[in-house]
Amino acid sequence: MISIKNLISIDDLSIDDINLIMENTDSFCEVLDREFKKVPTLRGKTIINLFFESSTRTKNSFEIAAKRLSADLINFSASTSSLKKGESIIDTIKTIQSMMIDLLIVRHSDSGVMNFIARNIDVPLINAGDGKHQHPTQALLDLYTIKKSFKDFKGLKVAIVGDILNSRVARSDIKLFKRMGMDVTIVSAPMLLPENLEYLDSNYVYDIDKVIENTDILYMLRMQFERQDRKYYPSIKEYNRFLSLNMERLKKMKKGSLIMHPGPVNRGIEISEDVMNHGKNYAGFKINTQITNGVAVRMALIYLMLGST
Amino acid sequence: MRNIIGKDNILIKSGTVFEPSSGKEMISDILIRDGIIMAVDKNINIESMPKDFIILNAQNYFVFPGFVDMHVHLREPGNEEEEDIGSGFLAALRGGITSIACMPNTNPAIDREYLVNYILNKSGLIDFKIYPVAAMTKNLEGKEMTEMGLLKEAGAIAFSDDGKCVQDSKLMYEIMKYVSYLDLPLILHEEDYYFSNYGLVNEGYYSAKLGLDGISRFAEELMISRDIMLAKKAGAKIHITHVSSKGSIILIKRAKEDGLNITCDVTPHHLYFNDSFLESYDTNLKVNPSLKSEEDREALVSAISEGIVDAIASDHAPHYESEKNTTFKDAATGTIGLETLFKASYTKLVREEKIKLGKFVALLTSGPAKILNIKTPAIKVGNKADIAIIDLEKNKRIKKEDFCSKSKNSAFIGQNLYGEVVYTINNGRLILKSENC
Repeated sequence: MISIKNLISIDDLSIDDINLIMENTDSFCEVLDREFKKVPTLRGKTIINLFFESSTRTKNSFEIAAKRLSADLINFSASTSSLKKGESIIDTIKTIQSMMIDLLIVRHSDSGVMNFIARNIDVPLINAGDGKHQHPTQALLDLYTIKKSFKDFKGLKVAIVGDILNSRVARSDIKLFKRMGMDVTIVSAPMLLPENLEYLDSNYVYDIDKVIENTDILYMLRMQFERQDRKYYPSIKEYNRFLSLNMERLKKMKKGSLIMHPGPVNRGIEISEDVMNHGKNYAGFKINTQITNGVAVRMALIYLMLGST
Repeated sequence: MRNIIGKDNILIKSGTVFEPSSGKEMISDILIRDGIIMAVDKNINIESMPKDFIILNAQNYFVFPGFVDMHVHLREPGNEEEEDIGSGFLAALRGGITSIACMPNTNPAIDREYLVNYILNKSGLIDFKIYPVAAMTKNLEGKEMTEMGLLKEAGAIAFSDDGKCVQDSKLMYEIMKYVSYLDLPLILHEEDYYFSNYGLVNEGYYSAKLGLDGISRFAEELMISRDIMLAKKAGAKIHITHVSSKGSIILIKRAKEDGLNITCDVTPHHLYFNDSFLESYDTNLKVNPSLKSEEDREALVSAISEGIVDAIASDHAPHYESEKNTTFKDAATGTIGLETLFKASYTKLVREEKIKLGKFVALLTSGPAKILNIKTPAIKVGNKADIAIIDLEKNKRIKKEDFCSKSKNSAFIGQNLYGEVVYTINNGRLILKSENC
């Protein structure tokens, strides 16, 4: 039985919880291999996808997961232009509360919204990404992907590359990987890191060439130049030189190492076109596998959070 | 090119060879073969050597290592009619200078790798050590950081927005963090635009008398104060260029005492003049930062005496005649300075203010070399010869026609300066015999 009611941060889960999720993901992977990919486990359960921030990947992943468990999933897309901050979220929550649903999955562009919602609703919650804070299901599917390639987590070298400062994926991954015993190195520029690295508690280098030959897992983060808070990193060209994955670097990677990315990839920025086009030839290229695993992990999570009631 | 001799085999006879670090003077010969210093000794005999040696009679002259001017504006690319790399080279040699750092406020600004390459290629062609300083912000607009990692790899020796100052403090901090990681110095022109924008000269007795809008010292001092705080947290190496006020010296002194990695330079014109000279409204004295009071000038001299100043740099700023030959308000700011770097500061500091020669020359050699992290020029066996041979007793009243630089806007026109550069040996070649240009 899972110990939590709400999954807001990856830190909420105990090691037992994590292992439980991993085990159940194995079973659901097996379901997804069958021709008939549906199980009746959550028939009659109602789940709402409440996405304040646009997303295709994560939203669809949760939807597929829910439907394969035979639950009824409804998509609430609150368009941000009609939202006044604070007040309308409350109204939306109260409305949902009155609908007597079983599970609420939320994504929002502001950190801490999940905590806010949890105070105002009595329904189990899954954080599908809140601002720059956490993205726990991403971390779980990343962990699962790694688990399938290596015997043991202990001592595995992970390099997390890119815009750590603005990444909820980085925060969830770094914490989870460290808990499971992996050796995390952050590869980032001073402008893309928080001032205080105490929370992340990891080694830090600038220049991907410093880690490329030794890392077991190369985890590339999205880098968005259009966003206002990006004005401190000079250019894509500089990013390509110090922080991106290209064919030349891929060829230097260790045998058996993995390439991962939370998606969608900004081609030509954090990963070159070349690698994206030919990467599948490389056995360690796991970006597509992550998506497949994402559905199974979410099935496991939803099942564990609802199935035991 | 006129006056180019270009000999690699040279014997300098009976010069007073001066070693800045020890302050020792010794009458000595120097033997240079294929551009390399082979011997520094009394009475070197060259009878056994091949015949094509040129012999320089350096009796009664001082022999110094070639100087480093770490703040020079060469107007190439973009404003070649004012100065270009070639004419700047000649002007530098005329001043006994064999290495310079050139500032990026050209047109286009040196804010991309290919422009750093351009400077390096050109300087390679003329065999002159030009160290490119790259811009901190794109086009010096103070809005976005440049590709500093790539610029460093292309060969930039430092970063600066000189001429401009980043007003956005958060951006300045982010720049410092990055530069700290890249481990290159930041050369900072300190100017708070809110204070300096409408002013023309230093706020004081003379601005009031002359009816020229005054610029508060805060323009310089506030920014220095800010950058000291930011650099401390960011761990950046900062260099404050053309320090001009007493208050600035006090801030820098305190920061040094606190252990901050901070250096500074002063220009010859700030050491030589005070704002009383502005009574003539001579536009050649319109400089940025402006000339300040005698109290400030004395503070700069004391700072040199106390070792707070690390270098003297000219801030060589060539301007087309028409840009200077107008009203004080409309005139461009800046003075040329390569050819007077040594003379003006030697005359004022050593001859008048009695600063020791060794201390002074270090500010033109080891001081700037350390800041830029380049090899300190030295007259040592095994080194390529970079030498300035100077007649310290010869004095001359400076005339416009004396200058090799394309632009003639010198603050020192009319001043009587000591220290004529007689010969300059650059990269082992005797290039210039200084007479006229």
